[in-house]
Amino acid sequence: MPEELAIRIEDLSIKYKINIDTKKTLKNAVMRASKGEKVRTRIVEAVKHLTLDVPHGSVLGIVGANGAGKSTLMRAIAGILPPTEGQITVNGKISTLLALGVGFNPALSGRDNIILGGLASGMSRAEIEEKTEEIADFAALPDGFIDMPVRTYSSGMYGRVAFSVAVNMTPDILLLDEALSAGDASFKEKSFNRMRELCAEARTIVIVSHALQTVNDLCDSAIWMHKGNMLAKGKPEAIVDQYLKFLDVGTLPSNLEDM
Amino acid sequence: MANPKTNFAPAIQVFKPHRASLPPLIPYLKEFWRRRAFAIELSRFADKAEYLDSKLGKVWLVMNPLLLAFVYFLLVTVIRGGSTEKSGLSTLAHILIGLFTFYFASNSINGGALSITAGGRLILNQAFPRALLPLSSSISAFWQFLPTLPVYILVVVIGKLFFPHTQIPGLRLSYLWAPFIILCVGITGYGMGLLFATMNVYFRDTNKLLSYITRIWLYSSPVLWRPEILHGWHKIFLYINPLGPSLASTSDVWIEGRTPSLGMLVGSIVWAFLAVLIGGYFFISRERDFAVRI
Repeated sequence: MPEELAIRIEDLSIKYKINIDTKKTLKNAVMRASKGEKVRTRIVEAVKHLTLDVPHGSVLGIVGANGAGKSTLMRAIAGILPPTEGQITVNGKISTLLALGVGFNPALSGRDNIILGGLASGMSRAEIEEKTEEIADFAALPDGFIDMPVRTYSSGMYGRVAFSVAVNMTPDILLLDEALSAGDASFKEKSFNRMRELCAEARTIVIVSHALQTVNDLCDSAIWMHKGNMLAKGKPEAIVDQYLKFLDVGTLPSNLEDM
Repeated sequence: MANPKTNFAPAIQVFKPHRASLPPLIPYLKEFWRRRAFAIELSRFADKAEYLDSKLGKVWLVMNPLLLAFVYFLLVTVIRGGSTEKSGLSTLAHILIGLFTFYFASNSINGGALSITAGGRLILNQAFPRALLPLSSSISAFWQFLPTLPVYILVVVIGKLFFPHTQIPGLRLSYLWAPFIILCVGITGYGMGLLFATMNVYFRDTNKLLSYITRIWLYSSPVLWRPEILHGWHKIFLYINPLGPSLASTSDVWIEGRTPSLGMLVGSIVWAFLAVLIGGYFFISRERDFAVRI
């Protein structure tokens, strides 16, 4: 793989089998076997023959309707879901924020959860302990909240802590799935600045977002996915434009934010 | 592009299709070892969260097997039609240490079995060697087991004050075998935890089945009965039980005060290896499928 690339995706297809029958239990399996019934399954093709290169230091936006395969693609890049065909080569340490507060234990304090979140994403104990204060400062929760159980947090505060962990572990590649909706306007501004800093350090960011203005503001390229296919690739403005036309809702400013 | 300051996973990673086969084992095991702190801390934090508001909850962890041991002791004594003072204490001690050790393994297996299905969000959103989750359950089981040892010693010390002629030994060199046997039990428990964790992903009622298996397993292990009652070819029942050799060795060390027989020691090691090899093979060869099935 050329050195300037952070991610190379070659002819990637991801299919998975969904079990239509309700419960996957031994009891049901034995019952079915005794009646000679087969398990009813459906194959979902989440990503179809996708080829894409993402250079270091770029910000890629992924737009598309629900069920387009955006999250599946992100999970495949992170190495969570294996490809069915094709391959993905990733050069660099990946940090993911695919769902807010993954690995968080609601009974523990924000500070404990920062340590747990950092360890879950692959930091060593020494690294995360060194960074805990910095991450807590970045999250900037109201007085004393950082030492209170996470279950007492508002969803915004929860998101801020999760986001702070993901962006402060200095990843080479940061994968964000709808995480930018965390926090209020000032936190959003801070998040954007942090991401621009990451880009300036030649780190790579892939963002899945329905907030199209964010894609326009932050990304330097974008792709549009629909039912597993990559329909278009190019400058974010052009892609967002095409996507909006496809949705047939026009390009009114109100559609640009938080769609 | 890898961050020079951090000792992270290989800088270039390639994700390819797989067919229920093992991933390259050396990078997997390296990554597993590198991230061991996650398993340790996950267990510590889970423990902290569970007993944050109830200090008595921890006491219960010891009380539960202790009370159960007394119940089984009564049961065994009644079935046997009473006991002499001399054998009574050693029977109680044998049941206590056997049950504590058995619970260490079964907590590790039960916790491990649930660790993958319960860690669903983590599995869907972070890439890490999944075998760390059952490891975390085994570590928790170990921390629950550890405080039961002083309880055992306390019961024996007090018992010896009342029945000085009991056969239970005082301090013996054979006790030095105890950590090794506990290690074998721990590894066997972890290996079986990996196996049942994999099964539980495919069949969600595995843990229900496991509660019956555990009970039958307890009754067929040398916990409520002494391993000496088996003679001749009946001894095979000790060897075909994954915990048989290590529980028989436990009884040798703590109750008889002697070095376990070579057969039992080899049996303990063989089962520990087999459990980790078989459990590990099933688990690691299928773990990339977990994110799809969770």
